Amino acid sequence: METLAIFGVHVLEVMFAVGLVGSVIVVLVTSVEDVQELFGPDEPAEHKPGER
Amino acid sequence: MNQPSTNPGSDNSNMSSNDQPLQPVTPASGVNNRVKIVVATTVMLTFISYWRAAAIVLNDLASSAFYAGGIAEKAVGKSAPWFIVGVMLFSFAVRAVYVESCSMFVRGGVYRVVKEALGGTFAKLSVSALMFDYILTGPISGVSAGQYIAGLVNSLFVTMDLHGWIPKAMHSIFHGTPQLDVGVTSVAVALAVTVYFWWENIKGIHESSEKALRVMQITTVMVVILLGWSALTIFQHGYNPVPLPTPDNLKFSETALGFLKGSKLPHMFGLFGILIAFGHSVLAMSGEESLAQVNREIAHPKLKNLKRAALIIAIYSLVFTGLASLLSVMLIPDDVRVSVYGDNLIAGLAMNMVGPEVLRLAFRAFVVIVGFLILSGAVNTAIIGSNGVLNRVSEDGVLTDWFRHPHKRFGTSHRVVNLVVGLQILTILLSRGDVYALGEAYAFGVIWSFTFNSLAMLVLRFKYKGKRGWKVPLNLPLGGKELPLGLASVFLVLLSVASINLFTKSVATISGLIFAAVFFVIFSVSERINHRRMAVAKAEMKDHFQLMQQESVDRNSMEIRPGNVLVTARDYNTLRHLRWALERTDTDDQDVVVMSARLSQFGDAVYDLQLADVFSDYEQRLFTQAVAVAEGFGKHISLLVVPAGDVWAAIAQTANQLESSRVVAGLSSKMTAEEQAFFLGRAWEALPEPKRQFVFQVVNPDMSTVSYHIGPHTPTMKTEDMQATHRLWLHITREPGMQGLHHHDILTEALRRFGRDFSGEDRALILRELQQLVDDDTKRTLVPGAGLERMSEMTSIKSGTNQPPE
Repeated sequence: METLAIFGVHVLEVMFAVGLVGSVIVVLVTSVEDVQELFGPDEPAEHKPGER
Repeated sequence: MNQPSTNPGSDNSNMSSNDQPLQPVTPASGVNNRVKIVVATTVMLTFISYWRAAAIVLNDLASSAFYAGGIAEKAVGKSAPWFIVGVMLFSFAVRAVYVESCSMFVRGGVYRVVKEALGGTFAKLSVSALMFDYILTGPISGVSAGQYIAGLVNSLFVTMDLHGWIPKAMHSIFHGTPQLDVGVTSVAVALAVTVYFWWENIKGIHESSEKALRVMQITTVMVVILLGWSALTIFQHGYNPVPLPTPDNLKFSETALGFLKGSKLPHMFGLFGILIAFGHSVLAMSGEESLAQVNREIAHPKLKNLKRAALIIAIYSLVFTGLASLLSVMLIPDDVRVSVYGDNLIAGLAMNMVGPEVLRLAFRAFVVIVGFLILSGAVNTAIIGSNGVLNRVSEDGVLTDWFRHPHKRFGTSHRVVNLVVGLQILTILLSRGDVYALGEAYAFGVIWSFTFNSLAMLVLRFKYKGKRGWKVPLNLPLGGKELPLGLASVFLVLLSVASINLFTKSVATISGLIFAAVFFVIFSVSERINHRRMAVAKAEMKDHFQLMQQESVDRNSMEIRPGNVLVTARDYNTLRHLRWALERTDTDDQDVVVMSARLSQFGDAVYDLQLADVFSDYEQRLFTQAVAVAEGFGKHISLLVVPAGDVWAAIAQTANQLESSRVVAGLSSKMTAEEQAFFLGRAWEALPEPKRQFVFQVVNPDMSTVSYHIGPHTPTMKTEDMQATHRLWLHITREPGMQGLHHHDILTEALRRFGRDFSGEDRALILRELQQLVDDDTKRTLVPGAGLERMSEMTSIKSGTNQPPE
């Protein structure tokens, strides 16, 4: 039982560590895009019903 | 529902042109003797800027700053703020998942996404987890608001006592300085706020993004003061270092290990301990789901604005929640931080700034006011959100129509609201004002709804073939396909945290599983009952009606002539105004369109209105009754269903698109005819050009009517002016060659000459004479009821009573 628990813990640790590394890359890549989104120009305005 | 390609998933799909042909849903045979119901599938929304969208989400997300830090520190010790910061940084990645889902489905919330990817069973499970999240959002926010209020009052009592301002008699009553029981006060505040918003939701008062924006503006003022003052305090007095988030610095409380209490596991593996601590901090990012719900309302360019809103939300939360948690450990002494300020950490920060006590107390009071506003807002968001989710599954046939039964007076889904608020009140009472216990349980719903969502998105990367506006980055091309490594990474973190929380949060696991299981059973049983009923209803509906799906309302494809009469219908019991309209309309010359607007706020169900949704019992009754009324008159009517974010905007837009000459409505149970006209007029003003004027008629229960012109219109002429025009016409037509002159030619010439005189030397004289007329009018309107005329000037003009204005 203890062996199984330890195995489960290892699996969770690997999932968490691998996931964190990947998520950090996702955040870094999106942050470059975010800067462009936030400070980049808008597309030409389009007339939209009800828009305010 | 299972065909993504039919959904308005792209950015601009809800704005596509009106010339899309109608799509009959039923076979063409046997169609002729059935009444057409046109279902517009695009919600008529008033679109909001990304700032407003961010404000709505932050009202939920940023509210967790008031309690997340305290809960995390109680669980994992003094290094908790680093985990909060870590969670807030990770929320940037979770946000990316939601942006991708919203770029695929206009409402990319958990139910829709999971149903598309994993089917109905998983969708019901994920909604059960989401409901657990929503049900607990209200109590934790309300109780936290109560903690801040009780803390402030008790602090004031202590200060007053130190100055000798508390009478001795009070001392003897309270056996010392008077103090409120924090638990009881928190429960009382939470109950009061919940009951208040219960009534608001029963009444169906529309919550505007304006309010959310104001709350966030006030909150931002507080955050700026908090950060600036904290910086000054650190500069003058220094700070306590926050222990780094290493395994050695983790000090788990007894309750923080849940089922692992007594086990060596959390201490055996360093990373495992960090995972546990991360799991205890995850509630700091609760509220991301609101992003998916508000998406539909975001203005063009939708995807860009969604990303901007999401970025603002993530940065704001990181700064507010993350920094507030860090500063609390840096500035509040260890001996009082958890014991005194554990449940009102930001108030503790205010009291430990540099400066005179009175200023610190004043700032604390400001913190409490802001906290009360944002936390109360979160209570309301929780009720609206859970009401929306239950309505959503109800419209999908998962819950029976019994839940959606409209309130007799207000037309709201009162049974769903009662159920949600009932569960919230029960939770508040059971919690006895313990924010920590509520927070522990709350994390269950938060993490599992995120996990289901990210899993579904991962599956959809391989399953979904429709349009996708944006993807979570880190996609590895492999043999003509892509491996979504970024999405898989986010899913792995969420799944590992959700899994470990099952073991470390025993209260959350037990209560969450019971709750989710009960809801899942209710959904499953209800769906079965509903399927049987729906089959009968569908058959009846198909016998009587022909459903036509149309992206947006279009007069030509509906075969409606210009100048038609638009009749609004909500309740099948109150169709007097339809009778009134039919009595006075010759349908050979003028079409009558009966319009049912399905009102929704953000998070409400109709965002994904599908054709099958109108087959519900309620709509069938409404349309059957409307047709019965028309048949009673032997007249033809057209039926139209319009999903709407704002009912007035929907009526104004529909009347404009159908080129209606009149809009007929019954008297509202919530407002006067004047108010109805005012709101419709305001919605008309917000319409883009080109727009047409029309007459709005409100039919009272006694069948008397009040009529209003909506938009610029022919001014009401006085009898003497009409006679003067006529006299002039008589004189002039006697002149040779003037026989073809019309009355309006005289007015045209008179206005031309008036314009010339006004821009010439007679300007001052004309103004004096006009002033005299204004003064005379003012004297006339200083009588009861005159205010109506003035209000109407802004957007609509009352033109008469009891008679149609034609």
